[in-house]
Amino acid sequence: MSNTEEKKQDSTTHKIGIYLWIWGLLFVLSFFSYMVDWYQFQGMLRWSLILFFMFLKAGLIMAFFMHLFWERYALVNVLLWPMTAIACFIFLMVSEFKYTVFTRFFYFVVGG
Amino acid sequence: MSDPKIEGFELKPGFSGMAKDTASDQTMFKGVHWGKAMMWIFLLSDTFIFSCFLISYMKGRGSTIVDWPNASEVFGLHVFGVDVPLLLIAIMTFVLITSSGTMALAVKYGYERNKKMCGWLILATAIGGLTFVGMQAFEWSKLIHEGVRPWENPFGAPQFGSFFFMITGFHGTHVTFGVIFLFIYAYKTFAGHYDEGKRGWFTTMKGDYVEIEILGLYWHFVDLVWVFIFAFFYLW
Amino acid sequence: MSDEYENKTGYQAQSSESIASGSIGSGVASDSDYVRPAENAEQDLYHGHSFITKWVFCQDAKVIGVQYFLLATFTGVIGLVLSWLMRLQLGFPGAAGFMTAEHYYQFVTMHGMIMVVYFLTALFLGGFGNYLIPLMVGARDMVFPYLNMVSFWSFFVAVAVLLASFFVPGGPTGSGWTLYPPQAILEGTPGSGMGIILMCVSLILFVAGFTMGGLNYLITILQARTRGMTLMRMPLTVWGIFTATVLAMLAFPALLVGSLMMMLDKLLATSFFMPTILKAGEVLEYGGGSPILFQHLFWFFGHPEVYIVALPAFGIVSDLISVHSRKNIFGYRMMVWAIVGIGALSFFVWAHHMYVSGMNPWFGFFFATTTLIIAVPTAMKVYNWILTLWRGNIRLNVVMLWCLGFIVTFVNGGITGIFLGNVSVDVPLSDTYFVVAHFHMVMGIAPLMVIMGAVYHWFPLVAGRFLNETLGKWHFWLTFLGAYSIYFPMHYLGFIGVPRRYFEMYDSPYMTSAVGMNEFISTAAFIVGAAQFILIFNIIKTLKTGKPAGHNPWQANSLEWLTPSVPPEHGNWGEKLPVVHRWPYDFSVPGAKEDYITQTTPPSEVKDTAVEKT
Repeated sequence: MSNTEEKKQDSTTHKIGIYLWIWGLLFVLSFFSYMVDWYQFQGMLRWSLILFFMFLKAGLIMAFFMHLFWERYALVNVLLWPMTAIACFIFLMVSEFKYTVFTRFFYFVVGG
Repeated sequence: MSDPKIEGFELKPGFSGMAKDTASDQTMFKGVHWGKAMMWIFLLSDTFIFSCFLISYMKGRGSTIVDWPNASEVFGLHVFGVDVPLLLIAIMTFVLITSSGTMALAVKYGYERNKKMCGWLILATAIGGLTFVGMQAFEWSKLIHEGVRPWENPFGAPQFGSFFFMITGFHGTHVTFGVIFLFIYAYKTFAGHYDEGKRGWFTTMKGDYVEIEILGLYWHFVDLVWVFIFAFFYLW
Repeated sequence: MSDEYENKTGYQAQSSESIASGSIGSGVASDSDYVRPAENAEQDLYHGHSFITKWVFCQDAKVIGVQYFLLATFTGVIGLVLSWLMRLQLGFPGAAGFMTAEHYYQFVTMHGMIMVVYFLTALFLGGFGNYLIPLMVGARDMVFPYLNMVSFWSFFVAVAVLLASFFVPGGPTGSGWTLYPPQAILEGTPGSGMGIILMCVSLILFVAGFTMGGLNYLITILQARTRGMTLMRMPLTVWGIFTATVLAMLAFPALLVGSLMMMLDKLLATSFFMPTILKAGEVLEYGGGSPILFQHLFWFFGHPEVYIVALPAFGIVSDLISVHSRKNIFGYRMMVWAIVGIGALSFFVWAHHMYVSGMNPWFGFFFATTTLIIAVPTAMKVYNWILTLWRGNIRLNVVMLWCLGFIVTFVNGGITGIFLGNVSVDVPLSDTYFVVAHFHMVMGIAPLMVIMGAVYHWFPLVAGRFLNETLGKWHFWLTFLGAYSIYFPMHYLGFIGVPRRYFEMYDSPYMTSAVGMNEFISTAAFIVGAAQFILIFNIIKTLKTGKPAGHNPWQANSLEWLTPSVPPEHGNWGEKLPVVHRWPYDFSVPGAKEDYITQTTPPSEVKDTAVEKT
């Protein structure tokens, strides 16, 4: 393996600035998402802000700290496509819990 | 990382490059060390584990007809006579992000074969992780003190405690394993195992600085999972 | 320590000139034979010295494969014996004096779990995967041999824990292999104490161990192929095992999560899956959980699991059919995409196992649609197998018999699958023997036939000797006819409404209407089970006295037959890694000297033939 690694040597490191930038950005975003709770935003505003900051942070970590931004598309696509199965699972479980809570209210509260 | 040079093979960018890489012989991920590819696939599998945990949490929380406890009060701290919501969690998040940053720099210095810098940064990461685990232990003991149990809690739906202890416990286990390996790797870096290609203790494989990047991937993943747990469990 | 390692870096040609002259044994070197140089440096292997490092804690994928094979077979025999006991009770109630209803449920559960997870999955991926992947892609070993060894020993511990549950107070769990809560962990279900806990622990260990192995299979296939071996030149066996491993890596997490949560429900009295339960007028401590969540998690694992078993079988049988009918596989790329497509779709169909579970009623539409879509790539594969056979130069040996048996059985099981995929048909047939017949046909007998065919096919490679053909034919016909005698009548039992998982039929009408058929099925089951010992006898007999096979006895093309020594040694390829120039299906090429052209034959040697460019 050593040969490929040595070949890789010269091209793999990035300027320190990019890491420091992302680092700083992550701090700021975490601070913002904490502020969402601090100011007690509620409702749609809260959920969308939480999700927005979450995905932004996750994206930054994956793209720059885990170097996915610089990886070749073959690897990136292999890693991201399986998430459709998770998305489908989430989507279906959302409608499932709505149905469960509906039946529970229907039979426990309204009376069965 | 950025494109390597491969004899007899021209690397193309974007989707045409993807097609060409996939159709080529020998390797699909060009220039990626097999250990790194293996760690990525492991992390993909681990993502599914955490996704299943969080999906279960969503289903459990969504279908309970008892009120869910207000996270921002439950996890609040009382400091200097003021109630600060989620203070401890915020600090934990900052600690973990700090350690993630030091790890990213350790990987960078590892590839530059800067043994000293790399070693110290790994050690800093390990200490960050240790702090995180310590704070989590503090958080757990505080909640247990307040009567939160896996099977019940005084604030609302009993599933709250169940999911809390299970998910943060599973994440904490990941952090703990990461910390153990960080200390081992810090030692190996300082001892120069990666410079001279010394063989591993069990695996008898030659050491290389790519191992730092592999460990880094794991560590960033732990941070990544925390981003989701923070959003869904503490803020939601 | 240094003599343990062979540094083979020098063996690999690094520039195009040395390759052009080096890789071709005979004939004129030409540009058409050029294969670009190696990207990866040679793997250095750890060669064991002592008995322990050579045969017990061994890092050679081939030995690990055989270890997996033997341990999985051992567990499979236990599963077989359990099925005998069940059939004894069903066919001749009361004949086994010690058998109570509790025992029956425990046997059902353990039979199912053992056969699906610890037998078929371990055998296909652990056994065949470990042995064949490095050989077929031209690697010296798995990329991370140490982890591979740990994988097997995790599996070993998992099996030990599973079997230990037979000896704990209360016995093994009796909740059915699906382990549905709430009954799995409530008093009254057999093995609801230690039994279910050990089952969950065993599953978690299995998943952990399997993840280690699976990472090795995937990365070996993706990152450690030999020169010239593109993905579309891999044998379909490797494609099947590869896709199945991908499914396993993404589906087992759901099982792990489900097992862990159920264990917490049992040990810490959490209520992940436990709703409020009234028992004898008393409210239990559980409350508010969602039993259906477990079913979703379980089947999010469980359905891909079906394909984890089926896809390697699809792949292996394609290779066997191609080799033994001396024809290229019909529609190779279509076969690959069908495997990949089935694998991808299998993550979107899980709740067709849950039509009667009380889930959101709208799901039936979604899941019936996706389920029926899977029939398309599957049917494509069946057509392609048949078209491969069509006008082939068929050798009607034991291997081919098993393949033909597989096709017939798989079509049969697949068609009943289309019945059950439709909600309106599934609802009355749910939990009857029709379902039992369906899944035994499609994921029990059919993959088993492929395993048998594969054993007869690759035994000459592993042991260097042929298995006995006459015994093999007895084995095949007894198994094939016997399996049909078992499962064909079961469809009918299902249609008349006999429910599954019943200890006996008591005073129901089935007591009279189904009793003769049950006796017949049970008798057939005893014979089929006993017939499997023919194979074990055959293996033991031929290990020493069989006809020596020599190199490439089947005139196959793929790399595993082209090793310098048979059986292959640790490191597989001797001095030099093979260089691949074509796919493994160049059989009966017009103009060629022989009816097969191996994957390593360079184009300059077959210039005058009508060989396809692959």
